[in-house]
Amino acid sequence: MEKLFYRLEIFLKKQISRGRFLKICLGWFAVFVSENRFLKLAFAKAAESDGRPKRKIKGNYDLVVSEGPDPYQNTVKAIEALGGMGLFVKKGAVVVIKPNMGWDRTPEQAANTDPGVVAALTDLCYKAGAKRVNIFDVTCNDERRCYENSGIEKAAKEKGAYVYFANQWDVVKAKFPYKSQMEGWAILRDAVKCDTFINVPVLKHHSLARLTLSMKNLMGVCAGMRGLMHQGLGEKLVDLTDFISPELTVVDATRFLTRNGPSGGNVADVTVLNKVIAATDPVLADAYAGELAGVDPLSLSYVKDAVARNFGSADIAGAKMFSVPA
Amino acid sequence: MKNRPRSKKLVIARRISQLFFLTLFIYILWSTTYPLKGGISPEIIFRLDPLIVFLTSLSERVLLPGTLLSLMMIVLTFVLGRFFCGWVCPLGTLIDGFGAFRKKKNLFSDASNRRWRRIKWFLLSAVFLSAVFGMQIAWVLDPMATAARFVSMNLIPTVTLTVQKIFVGLITRFELYGGFYDFYRNLQSSVLGVNVYYFSSSQLIFAFFLAVTASAIALPRLWCRMLCPLGAIYRIAAGKALMERRLEGCTNCGVCKSDCRMGAIRDDSGYVKGECILCMDCVYDCPPRGTRFGFSPGQKRSEEVPGTAAKDRKGAVSRKEFLFLLAASIPFLGGRRRRFRGGAGVSAGTGGLIRPPGALPEEAFVDRCVRCGNCMKVCITNGLQPVMLESGAGGIWTPQLVPEIGYCEYQCTLCGNVCPTGAIPKLAPEVKCRTSLGVAVVEHHACIAWANHEECIVCEEHCPVPTKAIKLQEEIYDGRKILKPVVDKDLCIGCGLCQHVCPVRPVRAIRVRGAER
Repeated sequence: MEKLFYRLEIFLKKQISRGRFLKICLGWFAVFVSENRFLKLAFAKAAESDGRPKRKIKGNYDLVVSEGPDPYQNTVKAIEALGGMGLFVKKGAVVVIKPNMGWDRTPEQAANTDPGVVAALTDLCYKAGAKRVNIFDVTCNDERRCYENSGIEKAAKEKGAYVYFANQWDVVKAKFPYKSQMEGWAILRDAVKCDTFINVPVLKHHSLARLTLSMKNLMGVCAGMRGLMHQGLGEKLVDLTDFISPELTVVDATRFLTRNGPSGGNVADVTVLNKVIAATDPVLADAYAGELAGVDPLSLSYVKDAVARNFGSADIAGAKMFSVPA
Repeated sequence: MKNRPRSKKLVIARRISQLFFLTLFIYILWSTTYPLKGGISPEIIFRLDPLIVFLTSLSERVLLPGTLLSLMMIVLTFVLGRFFCGWVCPLGTLIDGFGAFRKKKNLFSDASNRRWRRIKWFLLSAVFLSAVFGMQIAWVLDPMATAARFVSMNLIPTVTLTVQKIFVGLITRFELYGGFYDFYRNLQSSVLGVNVYYFSSSQLIFAFFLAVTASAIALPRLWCRMLCPLGAIYRIAAGKALMERRLEGCTNCGVCKSDCRMGAIRDDSGYVKGECILCMDCVYDCPPRGTRFGFSPGQKRSEEVPGTAAKDRKGAVSRKEFLFLLAASIPFLGGRRRRFRGGAGVSAGTGGLIRPPGALPEEAFVDRCVRCGNCMKVCITNGLQPVMLESGAGGIWTPQLVPEIGYCEYQCTLCGNVCPTGAIPKLAPEVKCRTSLGVAVVEHHACIAWANHEECIVCEEHCPVPTKAIKLQEEIYDGRKILKPVVDKDLCIGCGLCQHVCPVRPVRAIRVRGAER
């Protein structure tokens, strides 16, 4: 200790020459420069993206509904009737399945997509020759609890899907060819950089959007402060759907959470419908699911906005539909 | 005197043991995270700590779980001596690590060694007296709590953050989105964990830890020989330990004395048994190689060097000093505990702090909490943060929920499951869901719906109560239907998720006030 103080004393008493001063300055300069470089490396700016290419795929029907007690079989039948997974998934494709697993709830509580639907889609994708199936969601509750308690992680991993936690730093910035409120929003890179995007929402109540459906489910690929999307929600959701343009939308209507959504938690609020809806047009899927839930599709802000912009069709009567018998 | 090099088997064994327990310690705290499947509960660390167990039991007038384990540690000390300090204690290991930087020998006279050692008796008596009067301050100088806080709140956050930054840097810079990214994801979901922890004011925790450990540079094991109250407890037992150091053919050369890291060896080469932590250095440093540790009685005891045993007692606290200490403590203690005044009138209050779910009433909570940091480490959302001075000087480093950082997960019961003293009780998930931490209040002047008449209801959407503790009030404004959040105070459990997700900045438009407990 004494020695240390002695040295310190000498150091303080020493006169600083010009050369010494310059050396000290240079030393600090080097520290700042290297730190700056390190920070740049660590906080690299997100790349921009114009969104996914719009593949207008036409199935056998515009929309298929299948009914039955087993969500897995429902899904398989619905996709088969639509024309098979081969329409959407090419050999060696990287597929993203985006279920709703944002809440720490069990499948019976109907706040998340049924694991059977996700498992069926995973199976179908691999049978169609997919190289890899990615499943993730930006959750509202803790992601570990959501993944586990929704049952999706286990069910999908058994089928060989890659179920992983979304990293908020791994994003691209959304760029739109038109003026959009979503301009510059951080979207998960994996959701954009994939060959096929399958959106698998669950039909449930939402107090602002009235129903949470496929377009609302796409909020799960957005990073950042998602609460800010709720102002002018309809328009933003349509922009987002346009940006992602999912090839296939599968609405899980196995159970319908009628009240206290989107988190739910009370089994008494759940009505069992045992239906799975598959469509290539997300707007049509949402419109049909809305009608199934007893809501006028055009009263849903995002459907209304999408129809007004001619982005999709909500004309259920005019659509080519097929109902798979139970 | 030159020696043939000998393999220092016992010293090597001691070092291996130290490293093993340090690694185990870090492993236990590392696995103190969701889903708590590390195999060893972090409670065990503190159940093996007699200082924490006995003094918290004493001050709280309860019998804490772990009493038997602590007694077992004391019985073991009666047999072996202070093996815990030398072979197990993780803080001791880190202190030894720092002590390795010191090359200078430390020669003190017996008298000055005695003087320094006495400090820990004063500290232990202060802690003990406080406990008698119902105030638990054992945590302040407890080595396990100090080490656990450092590992949980400094070491692990630093490691996780550094690893994340390195991986993210490499992945984004070199666009390694293939197998390397998958490897990182696997690492995240297995060893590394998805949490990159953050703890507010953890610098202070680190500063305290550094002061404790780096003191070894000034004097080896300075903390252990002078200050540690847990060491003082073990010192009492180890003074009568069965295992002893014996000398044969001692030439009184003084090598062992100058090497002893505890200053336990006297001028006459005898030793103070209770101060010895069995580091085994003297066994190998002894030039005539006559130093042994063993059980067999009958041989000449090193302690029984004539004329020294009586002197040693001067190292302890005298009766006069003890009474003085007692007298000096009374005004301090009297002012502290309102419990003995019937708790009338002013309650200490929480100052708006949100305590963990089911926490004991504020005063009992602050008293029972040993600041081990387990609850904050395990908190699934990282929302439990150390308090600075918000609940008074006595409440420092107790946990509070900071909803801006993380909310209380509706069905999560982790914090109660790792609390070693029961300051946070173990709750069944269905009880936890009904346990109130506080109540949310909508700040109408800031709320997007109330003040700006725009759509939002993010708080209502997230509310985890199945019947929704946030109700919506409809209003037609400018031809549009606006939904305004209203909190149902009977249903709200104050989990803070609404505050966490509220998009209003800089101050959230819905905030949880801690419950009066």
